[in-house]
Amino acid sequence: MEAFRQEIIVGAVVVYMIFCVLTGLWAMRRTRNTSDFFIAGRGLGPIVVALALFSSTLSGFGFVGGPGLVYSIGVSSFWMVVISSTGYAIGFFLVAKRIRMIAELRDCISLPDVVAARYGSESVRFMIAVTIVLGVMGYLATQILAMAVVMQAILSGTDTFANIGLVTCVVISSAVLIFYCVTGGIIASVYTDVVQGAIMIVAGMLILFTAMNVFDGGMQEATSIILADDGEAAMPYGAAGMMASLGWFFVFGLGLAGQPHLITKMMMNKEMTDNRTILPMSLFGYVMAALLWISIGIVMRAAVIDGLVPPLALPDDAASVFLSVFANPLLAGVVFAGLFAAIMSTSDAFLNIGTAAIIHDIPKSVRGKSIDNELFWARVVTIILAIVAASFALYSHYRDATLVAILGAFGWGTFAASIFPVVAVGLNWRGATVAGAVTAISAALLINFVTQLAGVTFPYGVSGPLAAFVTSMVLFIGVSLVTKKPVLDSDIDRMMDI
Amino acid sequence: MRSKLIYIIFVVGVLMAAILVTIILTENVPNSGGATHPEIAGLQIGGDGAARMEHIGTLGLAFHCLLLAQIVLLSLLGVSERYRSTELIAYMGGSLIFMLLVAWQMYSGHQQFLETEETGHFLGFPTATAWATYGTWVGAIPLILIYSIGFRKYIYTPEDEEKYNELLAEKAERMEQE
Repeated sequence: MEAFRQEIIVGAVVVYMIFCVLTGLWAMRRTRNTSDFFIAGRGLGPIVVALALFSSTLSGFGFVGGPGLVYSIGVSSFWMVVISSTGYAIGFFLVAKRIRMIAELRDCISLPDVVAARYGSESVRFMIAVTIVLGVMGYLATQILAMAVVMQAILSGTDTFANIGLVTCVVISSAVLIFYCVTGGIIASVYTDVVQGAIMIVAGMLILFTAMNVFDGGMQEATSIILADDGEAAMPYGAAGMMASLGWFFVFGLGLAGQPHLITKMMMNKEMTDNRTILPMSLFGYVMAALLWISIGIVMRAAVIDGLVPPLALPDDAASVFLSVFANPLLAGVVFAGLFAAIMSTSDAFLNIGTAAIIHDIPKSVRGKSIDNELFWARVVTIILAIVAASFALYSHYRDATLVAILGAFGWGTFAASIFPVVAVGLNWRGATVAGAVTAISAALLINFVTQLAGVTFPYGVSGPLAAFVTSMVLFIGVSLVTKKPVLDSDIDRMMDI
Repeated sequence: MRSKLIYIIFVVGVLMAAILVTIILTENVPNSGGATHPEIAGLQIGGDGAARMEHIGTLGLAFHCLLLAQIVLLSLLGVSERYRSTELIAYMGGSLIFMLLVAWQMYSGHQQFLETEETGHFLGFPTATAWATYGTWVGAIPLILIYSIGFRKYIYTPEDEEKYNELLAEKAERMEQE
């Protein structure tokens, strides 16, 4: 079986891509209007929503960047993962019920729709839509590049495709992504998420088992090796230190309820009461999948320190080297398919919300009404957006990484700081005002943008996104308290009382 | 407390901001955010943990505690005011106490390691790290149980469902008239 390792891996990825194409064709029959295209007609069951929610949370970062960070900085990176229970709890307490109610009451098909309904303000809608577009461009470009790089790494290990170029890989992987997103919209997206989620749960458990058997003493021996080399790396706050770790706790914990690609899925469940089961199921899935993140990173750091494997060229190689050295070929195939699935799942979620922002929300905030033939234009813009993002990705790779890096700054942290106060707090507090929302979003964008562009760093590992998030929260509430109390529409007012 | 919740959340937020500013302005120490490994490229080390914690350890712990309080307060904000009963507040308070205990255990365990350079292990990790890893994960489970088990009592009761259905019926009627 070892002799066929590459073929098994390629086969697993090809099977998954064929599945995506077939799912797109199936979903196309169920997609009749923009409500179906963007929020699956609010007709999804709890298992589908739960798996879609957690698998959209874990992008390729959960398979590549995450283990790479644990390898690089030790336990510090754990804080992005172990706060998942907190993040999901906050998300469901603050967002799940009310976003679902507003979506049905006002026929919302996007997050900017929801904030426009809540605040009665097109300017807030516009700002959220612009934030989403900026964030989507950065995220999509990096995800498409990641997909292509992984595909190239997989295919170049075979004789037939040994010299396959990155551009070809971008074209192939983007083509599959575009196909099922254009044909099936969010329906295709969530059902591929279901399979992806299942793969990630299985992969996480199997990887943990494999990682525990790398050293005779199991995980304890691995952490002891790390501890002996550098105590801080294995201690609770890791190499990056206490404030970096707590910053991630804040930004990734509370910030989960500010991620547009996640909270829009809370609009899609058929029954409100399903939320009581969706929450624990999502968390279970995430925890299982995250075992991969932690176990690979810890074992690889220990293995390199102990001389079991040579030092990695890049921290992001941690997962691929682990799979090639320690994992059974079948498991490696499953994980690579899972990696592909994870990247595609996050990409399709962003493609969907980015399209909604461009063809639905921005025109509505500027013109006051939607454009005609919205479903047709949704499909067109999906293609254009993916092509533009893929072009950015290639441009950044070959010419200038600055552009994607700038847009990449509009990532999790910016979404968290911009959207959490306005949506998560605003949906639960009648006193939230348009002025408070505009101030919070502006401050979040400015601080994140400036700290990234100007390369501003703070001591003790305090990060720009943390500073932005704490600031936007304080400003949102503070400005709302001192500005004129809003008069809410009757249905919104009564909804907020429920 | 129930109707002043947003003010409490605001005050906690301001305190967190103040701590952040204080930390940023505090005398910096070399490699406070980590350093490159002297021998292995691509790895970071923490270096002198005691030095890093000397100026900001207490502030960091305070920030952590305020963050945990904020999490519980925000969860409470997501519950309609009429359901913020003494019973629910007691459950939330219990969750917070558990999370604070976890935070203290990881902090004090880390401090102890810095002093003695010795540690026990629990389920694969040094004890303080086990508190951080398993404790933080498990720490929010009470909130999840409150949500799932208490869903029809605190989050979306049968009375809420009736009110919501009324809103939907009114919407349907308005659309018919249009």
